[in-house]
Amino acid sequence: MKQTKIFLEEDEMPTKWYNILPDLPSPIDPPLNPQTLKPLGPDDMKVIFPMEVIKQEMSSERHIPIPEEVQEVYRLWRPSPLYRALRLEKALKTPAKIYYKWEGVSPPGSHKPNTAVPQAYYNAEAGIERLSTETGAGQWGSALSFATALFDLKCTVYMVKASYEQKPYRRILMETWGAECFPSPTDKTNAGRMIREKYPNTGGSLGIAISEAVEDAATHDNTNYSIGSVLNHVLLHQTIEGLEAKKQFEMIDQYPDFICGCVGGGSNFGGMFIPFMEDKLKGKKPDLEVVNCEPAACPTLTKGIYAYDYGDTAKMAPVVMMYTLGHDFVPAPIHAGGLRYHGDAPILCKLYKEGYMKAKAYHQNEVFKAAETFARTEGFVVAPETAHCVKATIDEALKCKKTGEEKVILFNNSGHGHFDLSAYDQYHEGKLMDYEYPADLVKQALANLPKP
Amino acid sequence: MKTIGFIVNPVAGMGGSVGLKGTDGLVEEALRRGAKPMAQERAKNALEGLAGYGVKFLACSGVMGGDILREVGVAPEIVYSLGEETTAEDTREACRIFLKEKTDLILFCGGDGTARDVYSIVKDKIPILGVPSGVKMHSAVFSINPRTAAEVITGFLNGELQLKDAEVMDVDEEAYRDDRIDVKLFGYAKVPYKPELVQGRKFIFNEESDEQSKENIARFALEFMRDDPLYIIGAGSTTKKILDLMGLEGTLLGVDLVKDGRLIARDVNEKQILSFLGKREKAKIIVGVIGAQGFIFGRGSQQISPKVIKKVGIENIIIVATPHKLANTPHLLVDTGDGDIDKKMSGFRQVVCGYRMAQRKKVLST
Repeated sequence: MKQTKIFLEEDEMPTKWYNILPDLPSPIDPPLNPQTLKPLGPDDMKVIFPMEVIKQEMSSERHIPIPEEVQEVYRLWRPSPLYRALRLEKALKTPAKIYYKWEGVSPPGSHKPNTAVPQAYYNAEAGIERLSTETGAGQWGSALSFATALFDLKCTVYMVKASYEQKPYRRILMETWGAECFPSPTDKTNAGRMIREKYPNTGGSLGIAISEAVEDAATHDNTNYSIGSVLNHVLLHQTIEGLEAKKQFEMIDQYPDFICGCVGGGSNFGGMFIPFMEDKLKGKKPDLEVVNCEPAACPTLTKGIYAYDYGDTAKMAPVVMMYTLGHDFVPAPIHAGGLRYHGDAPILCKLYKEGYMKAKAYHQNEVFKAAETFARTEGFVVAPETAHCVKATIDEALKCKKTGEEKVILFNNSGHGHFDLSAYDQYHEGKLMDYEYPADLVKQALANLPKP
Repeated sequence: MKTIGFIVNPVAGMGGSVGLKGTDGLVEEALRRGAKPMAQERAKNALEGLAGYGVKFLACSGVMGGDILREVGVAPEIVYSLGEETTAEDTREACRIFLKEKTDLILFCGGDGTARDVYSIVKDKIPILGVPSGVKMHSAVFSINPRTAAEVITGFLNGELQLKDAEVMDVDEEAYRDDRIDVKLFGYAKVPYKPELVQGRKFIFNEESDEQSKENIARFALEFMRDDPLYIIGAGSTTKKILDLMGLEGTLLGVDLVKDGRLIARDVNEKQILSFLGKREKAKIIVGVIGAQGFIFGRGSQQISPKVIKKVGIENIIIVATPHKLANTPHLLVDTGDGDIDKKMSGFRQVVCGYRMAQRKKVLST
């Protein structure tokens, strides 16, 4: 009998996160204060983050203990199963062995609570009573609503108005967990009021929602801000995925040759590959291939430039060194909303820049086709974001079929697509557009900017 | 109450079934070959959803509209009575009357020939919509089928729809029967359409109008056109928008040449383009997607000939089209007249569809 699922017992769940900062080939460039453009200090962050989180953001400790209270909540769905995709392998007739870590088992249905839970915990410990955050389509907002509910915190989510009206299901989830959810721009913040005055009919944007959430936190003593991706501490919390997967591979005496995941801000994939990257950085697994999967419509790593840039349109988040398409870039309307971010996590960008990883960009239709193949073999209907690395996995497995290599492939199955069925519907009806970033023309445009 | 002007070209589409590739001037021959009038039936299908709707119909008498309206239970106001035979002039005269009577929409049943007759009088003064019933339908003024026409009309009457520019095109039927295709772009009519939901800014869902999309494309074009080459700008309303935004008085239906932000020649023919190309090293071509079938070359911009394309190089062709246009054409078509060029151009190509935004679209050679 071939084993389909590799389980860890609850007491085998890792009790420490792995912090890659001290092991990076060179230190990451310091984040800058968006107003002064001077290196960001703890004091700059104190207004909106609890001290434990600030310490983690800059820590040089390799292993950081996961608080018992956080482990307790993790155990609601963790350790998450590692699956062998036997049926997919059979359908592809590949000699490759395909594995995926299934993060869709969490109550909100994705990897996001891996960081929402510790962030809620540290804030509760610091005496904070309420967290504010922004959300686009609602994945992150629902994860934080879930986490705050468990630590008796209030939660205020500024949800992009158009999504609030058109995609009500995630909002209903948030309200079910007791969060208050407002269509942004609201009349509760200066930023929101200003936008409403200027553009009375706006549908809002993530940039505006961030400004509102940050302002809310900065102007209320009992309130902090919480972020769902990009920053170091978020990736740190997500390493629980990769640490579990490593143990699970040890149990079956395997080690992946090829790891891939989808990248928007970089937290889900960062959490998966970072513990394996430690082995590559230390020379134990020099041949390990790590592939970032991104949309052709928002190809940050494959077509962006490596530079200091603002994290958001409103220029309120820290300025960080990363691959970027420009903070004013407006990505095309693809369904993988979670991948429509102009930059990527600085840790991930550093490793890409130094040549430790690769990146590939995919079009929508090929990605949905792969997700459909996956659904018809493995059963799970994955999120449009996750579908990007399903595509990379299938491509690699088919390559193995040609070469006869028995590679071990691992992808991070970051969440289910049950709230994205309308996107699948459009795919079935042939209505999905293959958006792409016109990199050459943009380059031509930027090369000939008018001289002042 | 809204008013619709209604015209049926009773002989439209008759030539097709009997192998005549069009019916212009050949009604008797079509009838002799056993062709049956089909426009009446198509018109009826389009009208069925409208019976009982609060709308006033103005129509021509008899086979050009009045009969069908009565059949579906609508009492039309007959504003034009026919003689014994119907001609294209009847269509044009009816349209003149519709304009005078302040009609909100002209609904016609026919093909490219009828569309051209209607457009020749109406231009873009009031919206028109075609119920497809002709042999040739290159124009973008038709609904997909008679049933969808009814949906578009009710949407329009309820004030739910926007208007877009749609190509009015027609083939020279003499040439067509000799298996030569010479499709001309006659102009742009206003046609009601249902906007697709377009996601504008980060996570914002906006209803971006076709007009806004054109402006976004043009804004981007202005940026990348700051480089050195001569730009050959093809026909159509999207490429025209680029010239508008540059403050240049280009042509809507012709080909214009731009260099360093200046219009150096307008409405040029193949010969003129080649002579400009002879003088300089580098050139680029910007073309839109023309007509209902989605042609990038071979319809509407024949001035950009195979010779011109060879000289410029296929890698220097930039295709532009709005998301709405692209959503309505499953693939793009190319028919330059040179099979080798057509083959080289087919496959996946990038189409600029917004500000720093593009789509990948398949191009087929016909």
